[in-house]
Amino acid sequence: MTLLDFARGPAIHASLIILAAGIVLRLVGVLALTRGADLSRPRDAFGNFKGYRTVFSRAWPSSEFNAATVYQTVMAYVFHIATLLVVIGIVPHIEFITSLTGASWPGLPNFIGVALGTIALVSLLALIVRRLSKPAIYNSTVGDYITWIIVALPLLTGLMAFAHVGFRYETMLALHILSAALLFAYMPFSKLMHAFWFIFSRAQSGLAYAHKGVRI
Amino acid sequence: MSATASTQIFPSFEQVYQGLASQIGMLREMAPQPTKSDEKRLQGAIDTLIADTNADEAVWLESCIHCGQCTNACHYFQSMQDAKYAPMRKMDLYRRVYHRELSPMRWWHRLVTKPVKLSDFEEAKELIYDSCTECGRCTMVCPMGIDTASLVHHMRSAMVAAELVPPELAALRMEQKHQGTVFGSSPEKLKEMIDTIQAQAGVHIPLDKETADVMVLSSAVDLVANGNGLLATAKIMNHLGVDWTICSDGFESANFGLLSGDMALWKKQADPIVAAAQRVKAKTVVIAECGHAYPALRWNPMLRSGELPFQMMYMSEFLGKQAKDGKLRLRPLDEKVTFHDPCKTGRRGGAFDEPRAVLEAMGADLVEMANNKEYNWCCGGGAGIFLLQDATKLRDESFKIKIREVNETGATAVVVSCASCRLNFESGRQKNHWDKRVESLVELTAAHLIDNEAIDDEAPARGAVQ
Repeated sequence: MTLLDFARGPAIHASLIILAAGIVLRLVGVLALTRGADLSRPRDAFGNFKGYRTVFSRAWPSSEFNAATVYQTVMAYVFHIATLLVVIGIVPHIEFITSLTGASWPGLPNFIGVALGTIALVSLLALIVRRLSKPAIYNSTVGDYITWIIVALPLLTGLMAFAHVGFRYETMLALHILSAALLFAYMPFSKLMHAFWFIFSRAQSGLAYAHKGVRI
Repeated sequence: MSATASTQIFPSFEQVYQGLASQIGMLREMAPQPTKSDEKRLQGAIDTLIADTNADEAVWLESCIHCGQCTNACHYFQSMQDAKYAPMRKMDLYRRVYHRELSPMRWWHRLVTKPVKLSDFEEAKELIYDSCTECGRCTMVCPMGIDTASLVHHMRSAMVAAELVPPELAALRMEQKHQGTVFGSSPEKLKEMIDTIQAQAGVHIPLDKETADVMVLSSAVDLVANGNGLLATAKIMNHLGVDWTICSDGFESANFGLLSGDMALWKKQADPIVAAAQRVKAKTVVIAECGHAYPALRWNPMLRSGELPFQMMYMSEFLGKQAKDGKLRLRPLDEKVTFHDPCKTGRRGGAFDEPRAVLEAMGADLVEMANNKEYNWCCGGGAGIFLLQDATKLRDESFKIKIREVNETGATAVVVSCASCRLNFESGRQKNHWDKRVESLVELTAAHLIDNEAIDDEAPARGAVQ
């Protein structure tokens, strides 16, 4: 079995199983805890439901916080959108998804894929530069840096494989798939779980404050 | 009966602040020492956190991505620029306990992390008490919407179990627990103050009526230091002609159970108020201008207020409702003022419109601060921090944000509606020789009541009285 066969076969499949099982374990383990009821009288009998809008409204910080947050928010959006488009938009990724699920859709032209991958990597660099330059703001931990590396690796190796830089193509491709496998396996046990938590966390706070008639 | 008269009967708030400051200094000596073994204190703290952690807390603890957005939103970080004051750091210890005790990954965390020690709680004390007013401003910017203030509150409960409550809060907690008073504000003190107000200001306060529509709470600051607060309240109630009373077995708004994190004491303090209000068949309970009393009574999730036969209103809400209904007849306030939303009644309470309605009824030229209502900067004195000597620098430095915000409005006075905020503003005003006046909403309202046309000629707006 070549390295590429290992990456394409057992490695990526095992990582996807860990990904799915890990997400379920962590979500269920937390959400199955009891919830304390708020017995106080709400400000507005039906106002609590308004709290759910925080799930959406918190997608962009309020203007009061602009000066401190705009750089990071813009970069984070660029990173998330570019990465998502690369993950689901380029032909080799679609072929992989098709092999697993049968679903398929037209891919982006190569040059757009490369451009998006580059944008994603550059925005990720822009975020780490800021994190490193303002240590008092971020209070970074080892986990923050490990997560950054694990997220950056698939982007870097993917671009290198496409551009035929570094090792020979098959090796680079294997390294790219292995780095994606690492990301999948790491995701449920790291802060990358925010992909799920943000909905619950925002909704909880939105409801708690809406109960008092406060829109957050 | 005017503001001029009232300032003659009782000391000015400047003197009130100075008097209280010296009393606060003595609290440190009265603080109780730990009585349990270190093991029991640690276990108590951990057990408290386990008991307090529901899915809400767990989700918030899981959600932090260390994005740093909260850091700049905190007035303590802004003023000190020290990484340790970042709000995200204030839940680190809680998260460590959660990871090892409750998280679905606890088996892993127990393998790779060291057990939490009592010294960890000792180190967290500054973050949990001195540098967090539980104001909730960090929640407003957090992309995950994490309610750090709630988590800090649970940590305070753990600190009670660990016997690590700061000396000032610990002393007042013990006083309220064992004597039922705060700074000696006993029912006798209440009676004395009511008699003084009757004798010297000629204002009647109906104490312990059998039934009343409105039951009014007082607060320790009013009873032992600032008689003007209770006098102003009485004048307004009498002006409105409402059927009101103060009950000597349930009058204290201040709740050092909630402030220290001792929820058993919170209940011990809240229950008699609820019982008194039910006994007098009150339709409304008015909570004195004591910011923390609002979440202690109105919003405490453990108080089944939906089933109570009365509503609870903060003083500013009550005044605002009367103003909106046109029942408050007020002389104009020809002045540019700004309003400071106390965090407990504003962002964490929702009473935004009512205090503004009162100022509007006075025709005041109200100028909002750049960050107002939900986004208001905390004054730095809430959640008991005004009392903490160790937090003096944090408080003084963070107050400079408030000075800047108020100055930018061009207002000549800032109106507050919370005794803690007011004391902290007064402290900041004196220390910085600040040229703004600090007004309490209830006293400002009382000073502008139109009771008797003749009074108008001799008493200028309270703003002019120094």
